[in-house]
Amino acid sequence: MVMKSAVEDDDAGWGLGIPEKMKNNANWVDITHEFKGACKELNLGELLHDKLFGLFEAMSAIEMMDPKMDAGMIGNQVNRKVLNFEQAIKEGAIKVKDLSLPELIGIIDTCFCCLITWLEGHSLAQTVFTCLYVHNPDLIEEPALKSFALGILKVCDIAREKVNKAAVFEEEDFQAMTYGFKMANNVTDLRVTGMLKDVEDELQRKVKSTRSRQGEQRNPEVELEHQQCLALFNRIKFTRLLLTALITFTKKETSSVCEAQKLVAQAADLLSAIHSSIQHGIQSQNDTTKGDHPIMMGFEPLVNQRLLPPTFPRYAKIIKREDMVAYFGKLIERIKTVCDVINTTNLHGILDFFCEFSEQSPCVLSRSLLQTTFLIDNKKVFGTHLMQDMIKDALRYFVTLFWTVCADVICILCCLFNNHQAKDYIDSFVTHCSRPFCSLIQIHGHNRARQRDKLGHILEEFATLQDEAEKVDAALHSLLMKLEPQRQHLACLGTWILYHNLRIMIQYLLSGFELELYSMHEYYYIYWYLSEFLYAWLMSTLSRADSSQMAEERILEEQLKGRSSKKTKKKKKVRPLSKEITMSQAYQNMCAGMYKTMVALDMDGKVRKPQFELDSEQVRYEHRFAPFNSVVTPPPVHYIQFKEMSDLKKYNPPPGSADLYMAASKHFQQAKLILENVPSPDPEVNRILKVAKPNIVVMKLLAGGHKKETKVLPEFDFSAHKYFPVVKII
Amino acid sequence: MATMIEENGPSTHVQSEVSSSSHARQKLEGLLNKNMRIRMTDGRTLVGLFLCTDRDCNVILGSAQEFLKSTDTFSQGEPRVLGLAMIPGHHVVSIEVEADSLEDTQGFGATH
Repeated sequence: MVMKSAVEDDDAGWGLGIPEKMKNNANWVDITHEFKGACKELNLGELLHDKLFGLFEAMSAIEMMDPKMDAGMIGNQVNRKVLNFEQAIKEGAIKVKDLSLPELIGIIDTCFCCLITWLEGHSLAQTVFTCLYVHNPDLIEEPALKSFALGILKVCDIAREKVNKAAVFEEEDFQAMTYGFKMANNVTDLRVTGMLKDVEDELQRKVKSTRSRQGEQRNPEVELEHQQCLALFNRIKFTRLLLTALITFTKKETSSVCEAQKLVAQAADLLSAIHSSIQHGIQSQNDTTKGDHPIMMGFEPLVNQRLLPPTFPRYAKIIKREDMVAYFGKLIERIKTVCDVINTTNLHGILDFFCEFSEQSPCVLSRSLLQTTFLIDNKKVFGTHLMQDMIKDALRYFVTLFWTVCADVICILCCLFNNHQAKDYIDSFVTHCSRPFCSLIQIHGHNRARQRDKLGHILEEFATLQDEAEKVDAALHSLLMKLEPQRQHLACLGTWILYHNLRIMIQYLLSGFELELYSMHEYYYIYWYLSEFLYAWLMSTLSRADSSQMAEERILEEQLKGRSSKKTKKKKKVRPLSKEITMSQAYQNMCAGMYKTMVALDMDGKVRKPQFELDSEQVRYEHRFAPFNSVVTPPPVHYIQFKEMSDLKKYNPPPGSADLYMAASKHFQQAKLILENVPSPDPEVNRILKVAKPNIVVMKLLAGGHKKETKVLPEFDFSAHKYFPVVKII
Repeated sequence: MATMIEENGPSTHVQSEVSSSSHARQKLEGLLNKNMRIRMTDGRTLVGLFLCTDRDCNVILGSAQEFLKSTDTFSQGEPRVLGLAMIPGHHVVSIEVEADSLEDTQGFGATH
């Protein structure tokens, strides 16, 4: 067994480099007394050190005997021998054959718990590899346990490979290090699933033979054995299905995703049976009150303690068995959702899918599976088509939808796409789009906190893209002018990028509420920026597109009528943008309502403001919107501009707090009206309504002077919706 | 580390003690960058290069390796690499250096 921890070398050179003289042949001389004596002669606070070694280097030393820093301490304080697998077998502390059913069930359940704890971001060494059996499954003689140990190793190995490949994790999500453990690489996947299947069949026979027969007097012992066999059978089958599903994900065909979905659904069906049979497994023995880890046969939490780097979390708290089943249930639900991605084929749908999936804060494994399912080996969408083609389709879709005024799109599609110069322009633009859009999709695979940071950065890439889009638009325009002087090409490529820019910017600002980054006194300018600026831009983009689309449809309809004598069947066309427009209107009204609420509360002295000593509101404002500086369209609104634009003195007479509360109430009312008219409301609509309704009432009360004198600050309750709070006056 | 940094204020020299303290300082400086073996109160032994100390005998070792107490059978003799480590003075049980490193360091070991 290779057991070497990788510890990074210290920059200063004080780190490693194992001295040759380390061997015991050196002649050590005790100088304790003199050394301590000499130290006493030093002055208080004086450091005796080499001139190359200073306080800065001293800072990075780990402190021994500090439980927070010294990983070696814990293993040293436990009053029992820490044995590795081979030693444990030799000492008879661990069984490798003739394990009882309760023992097997207990070991398997604990392993499942370890697996989940690992998936939740702990290191393998502190989770799965605390189970001694997985250290070397070859030494296990019990077939059920051996196949299970191999199965778990394979699950870990494939999960690790998937997560590594998708690269949407950070240190807080996932520990990819394997510490040189063998992940059952000497056995093929097929062999392991085969072994699990064999054990499964054997157990099924036992389950059948112990089954109660009609009219037979039931022996309680046989009944117990039957229950336990069934419990073990379900666990082995679950492991096999999970493993097979993961293996299926590694195949490159789209059809395999459906197969994986079926497999995890089968696995999910076993969960309730697993949950109800947890009590059949053996539990950990010693009492944990003395700060020691719970000890199970086959598990040694400290076995890898010496592999851990000098500073490392002391030990991972393994989740409870009861929670394990619930976690598997949720994981399987997420994997099932991931599989649905293959039903979405257009880029905008995919982006929405990724956004929606990410909103549930899914685990790193399901996030990674989504990434690797979508872009197999980072090149082809679902392993079949090129990203460029997908972008081109999206562009074509967007362009036909949005910018059909003057029928220039038809022109682009018919004349210009045949014009090879125009085709070259568009092709090269689309090629350049591919990377930023891939990154955008990848960003949505990261955890929520990291997404925000990355969204800020990707705006730079989109700014470059926008620049190019505008150039291509201009070139296409001049080409078109030559071909058909009456028609003009609208800035469709530029607008398409603008649409995405706006979406990213809105998401960036809103995620700050979700992550609780803003303090109360900052709300007003964030909501202002959203309602007055970003949503206003998005709405004008969308509604322009929508009206031009309808105009286009009318033209087409008339043309059809003219051409064919047959009356075209009147079918009600769904306006694909109407939903997005409606939602944007609602969001804009919610933001406007919140903005006015915050200004009015401030007037009444109900917003606590910090004592600006080293910074000012301007510094904060500029920091909040800093990523927007790289975007050309829409241009960033600077603090001075914001102050001018939001100045209430420009109204005559300037509104008082009561007027503003009233206005806010109207905005919430408006949002409510819009949302109540949505034909088939989704959960998001209901969530916003849950905020809008109480806020209408509260604002009306405040406008009427309710509790005007109270000094108690209002509360903002984000529990109903992550971006908009219910305002509570206490 | 906190204690060492906090106490790292301006050092005040007391004139009368200059001779003895400068001698001690010389002795300690002679040991800098020498291999040192320190036994701690919990029985572990650290071996590394002596880099820094102060009045409370807090010691910083560079390239330190941790050896478990000899009674431990598991992974005995196989050291764990710690890198830069500070041992608080009150956890230092014994300090040893290699004999040949004492040759150029007068005043240490000679009395024993």
